[in-house]
Amino acid sequence: MDDFTDELHRLVVEETRSARGASIRKRPARPAIMPASAWTTETRISSETGRALSIVFSTIGCAHARDASGGCTMCSYLLDGTQRSPSSEELQQQFTNAMSKLEGAPSPVSVKLYTSGSFLDPGEVPVSARTAILEMLAADSRVREVVLESRPEYVSQEVMAELRKSLGDKEIELGIGLESSNDLIRSICINKGFSAEDFHNAIEIARSEGIGVRAYVLVKPPFLTERDALLDGIQTIRDVAAMGATTISVNPVNVQSYTLVERLWSRGEYRPPWLWTVLEILRQSSSSSGDSVRIVCDPVAAGRIRGTHNCGVCDEAVSQAIHEFSLVQDASVLEGLDCSCLSEWEHVLEHEDSSLLVHDHTLTGK
Amino acid sequence: MTEFLINRGHDGPARSGTLRLKSSTTSTPALIGGTSSTDSILGIWTLGRDSRPLSVPCILALPPLSDYTDSMLELIRDDDPILLPSLPSSSTLGPDFAAALLNRQLVLLQNSGDMIEPSRVIVRIPPQVKHELLDSIVPRFDELGVRGAAFVFNGELGPNDRDSLALRSRLPRNWLTLALGRIEPYAIPVFYYLGLDLIDAGRALGAAAQGIRLWPRGYESIPHSEEIRYCSCHACSSQTNLADIDREALQTVLVAHNMGLCRTFLSESVNAAHLGQLRSLVESMTHSSPASAAFLRTVDKELYTFTEEFTNTTGSGALPLIGPESYNSPVVRRFREYVASRYVPPSYKKLILILPCSARKPYSDSKSHKLFREVTDAGLGASRFAVAETILTSPLGVIPRELERSYPASFYDLPVTGDWDAEETAIAADALSVHLAKFDKSAVVIAHVSGGYEDAVKAAESRIQQSIIYTTSGQPATSRESLESLGETLKELVDVLSLKSGRSLENKEILRATADFQFGSGSGEVLIPENASVWGKPYGMIVSRIEKEQTCAYVAASGALSLTLVGGRLVAPLERYWVRFDGRRIKGGSVFAVGVLDADPKIRPGDEVIVIGTDDEVIGVGRSEMSGIEMCEFEKGCAVSVRHKVD
Ligand code: SF4
Ligand SMILES: [Zn+2]
Ligand SMILES: [Zn+2]
Ligand SMILES: [Zn+2]
Repeated sequence: MDDFTDELHRLVVEETRSARGASIRKRPARPAIMPASAWTTETRISSETGRALSIVFSTIGCAHARDASGGCTMCSYLLDGTQRSPSSEELQQQFTNAMSKLEGAPSPVSVKLYTSGSFLDPGEVPVSARTAILEMLAADSRVREVVLESRPEYVSQEVMAELRKSLGDKEIELGIGLESSNDLIRSICINKGFSAEDFHNAIEIARSEGIGVRAYVLVKPPFLTERDALLDGIQTIRDVAAMGATTISVNPVNVQSYTLVERLWSRGEYRPPWLWTVLEILRQSSSSSGDSVRIVCDPVAAGRIRGTHNCGVCDEAVSQAIHEFSLVQDASVLEGLDCSCLSEWEHVLEHEDSSLLVHDHTLTGK
Repeated sequence: MTEFLINRGHDGPARSGTLRLKSSTTSTPALIGGTSSTDSILGIWTLGRDSRPLSVPCILALPPLSDYTDSMLELIRDDDPILLPSLPSSSTLGPDFAAALLNRQLVLLQNSGDMIEPSRVIVRIPPQVKHELLDSIVPRFDELGVRGAAFVFNGELGPNDRDSLALRSRLPRNWLTLALGRIEPYAIPVFYYLGLDLIDAGRALGAAAQGIRLWPRGYESIPHSEEIRYCSCHACSSQTNLADIDREALQTVLVAHNMGLCRTFLSESVNAAHLGQLRSLVESMTHSSPASAAFLRTVDKELYTFTEEFTNTTGSGALPLIGPESYNSPVVRRFREYVASRYVPPSYKKLILILPCSARKPYSDSKSHKLFREVTDAGLGASRFAVAETILTSPLGVIPRELERSYPASFYDLPVTGDWDAEETAIAADALSVHLAKFDKSAVVIAHVSGGYEDAVKAAESRIQQSIIYTTSGQPATSRESLESLGETLKELVDVLSLKSGRSLENKEILRATADFQFGSGSGEVLIPENASVWGKPYGMIVSRIEKEQTCAYVAASGALSLTLVGGRLVAPLERYWVRFDGRRIKGGSVFAVGVLDADPKIRPGDEVIVIGTDDEVIGVGRSEMSGIEMCEFEKGCAVSVRHKVD
């Protein structure tokens, strides 16, 4: 990278930190004994239908976002956390409180351990809490699958072995956000703070312990044109599939509070991706990536101005198709959709690239 | 190798030019279309993403945030102008971010080896770039051989668009300029006027994709529109009902219609520029939307030094000054500034007579001014020479009688109603107070004006040091009562001020005032000294000679002075309006920019200029075809049309 690319990155970090600004101090001071949120859904576990419990632990938040590196440009997960780190006991309480939602649920169940950062970061979830939680999961015979999330720097051979050892033959999936396989985009536009190689290594290590990796792919980081986003999405999916990810979760950017993305968006300098872009990414990827990898997409705030959206008329139909595709993994459900805004999207793909003018009609009204 | 040549002639910053590519030539101004619009003059495509439009000359955009491998660069055809990569603009990230984006382009160019030929390169200038940075980095691109820059506009005609324009105004004058982004068809004249050579018609294409039909004012959504409007254009009239055709067909029709509208506006602009009427076209277009009106007014204020530099000092044909958007148009404001800073009244003027303007130009030819003349002649008799006549008018301010035929004083055309708005009154009052301060304090001001004119005098009153006599008492200036009152007042003043008798010095006054107006104050006395003999008629031609040698001639039709070589030698020591020519003799009838070593930066297109050779001798006089700075920056083109030269 040349000096000026470094300079762009430096300015993005600065702006991301400034956007985060006061929000860090607005977080509740007191650590909680309740998780930030917990909910259950119906899900497919292997070939059976079961319940999935998602737990978002209330922690001090992602280390990458807390320290001088500023965090990612689109992420405000830090807001879900607390100013002071909860103790190991408090975290265990959060877990047991959340698990009560599974009371009476039959086998099989899947438990997803989310934090506003990395579950495997000992600075965020102390080792003692992690061990205790894993033990409780191991003891629950209904639990067939455990999903957790972490940045790659916490994915060591040691920790992977520990996971495998404590959870025995339960399915384990580790979520890691690579977001983009393009180094320039990942550093300048996202400020992810790790390399594609770090990510690749993490996959290899996880695989050696029979742990699958769910790779998060971000659709339309800031500073990209719509077509940049489309092409980067397709390329990234292709790359992470080749690196050995077992599941690819496609995440269109939604405009979160106190982020650089929000600052751009509020000035008409960013528009979340079109649903057509997301659809096209899925269409092209499902045909190219083969059967070994699942591609799922459950966009946040789809059809809303802060989320991926189209013209307003077709948003629901397109979102529905995307949802359907995630369940059945059959690209044919993505076909046959049409709306008069399709030609506008095609125009945007071409004209944004040549003009570099952000095409956002939500603000101008036409 | 790409070359951009600017043709002769200016109408404000607008110019016509020729973009010469290896295999084709395009005249500018021109529209930029997309990849599919065969209808547009220039295509635009993105490397590795679009297929290159086949039939038209094209601009090639390099995609942002790519690694430009050699194999990628090899895809670049050796013809298309190349748009360097940047990122969508971000006011959020501010000027440092913009600076880095600009610098990255420089680095890319420097590192591209000979893969990217600099003469083909168009730099993208982010709107947030600081002026100082632009001023320091553009010469570095220029040194490499870059001759083009692209600016992005969001079409709101607000601060963002003005920022981009302000940056555009700082470019070397020989660079090709692109306006990219969203440009409404009705804004094409103003963008062309402000010196943009290639204009993105993407808005027309984008609207068509949205089912929107654009009109000179506003737009229409089809088929949502309740009643579809009638359009006579070929595309629309080939369909019986636009609401009935399928989407694809509709889009085709709308592309043709919307592009047609852009082309109509562009063609109208080009034609207006040929006629020297582009500014009035732009002014009339400001009624398309309140934003356009505000835009032009603000641009007039913020970019005056830019627009003024390219505004002709001579012209022919009527100059309509219809509304407030004319008050500070460059030609109008410059006239006020020249009169304020250059006009010096003869010291023997003891009376200043303020008169209203007339619809007919020059004023002397109007009925009202003929009446005023009779009354003044009768009232003052042989002391007439002691009166300085000053015509009060909007929006030019004050016009000394001697300059009534100068440009644009005798060419402007406006609705003379006598009702002035506050801005007009303030403009006239300011001009008047500055003007009167040049006269002796003991002189007497006679305000023979009523209505808005009188309000302007009253508004200036506190800043006027002379005593003022109003002679109209609420009646129109041409009423019998007013004229009688004027006559009596003048008669009385002859006695009260014991005015002397003397000969009329009108011809000499016109020559000197015009010389001062053209070359700056003091020029009149140098060019038409005491020993000059002056002959002619103010409404025809006035010639000045020194010892039988003609020095200059004034032609009433243009209101301007032209010099002879002898006259040029008289003015030369003042070091104004000079062009230094690289040679001892001029060959042919023109001095070309390539032969200009240096030139007075005050020179505007249309000015009378003096050509000085390498021997420091005056070797020619003539009319400038471009601004003095352009003469220095341009490598091609006619700088001066020579009238007289040393053989
Ligand atoms: S996206 Fe993940 S890594 Fe980035 S700041 Fe948010 S939690 Fe941390
Ligand atoms: Zn739609
Ligand atoms: Zn567009
Ligand atoms: Zn039409």
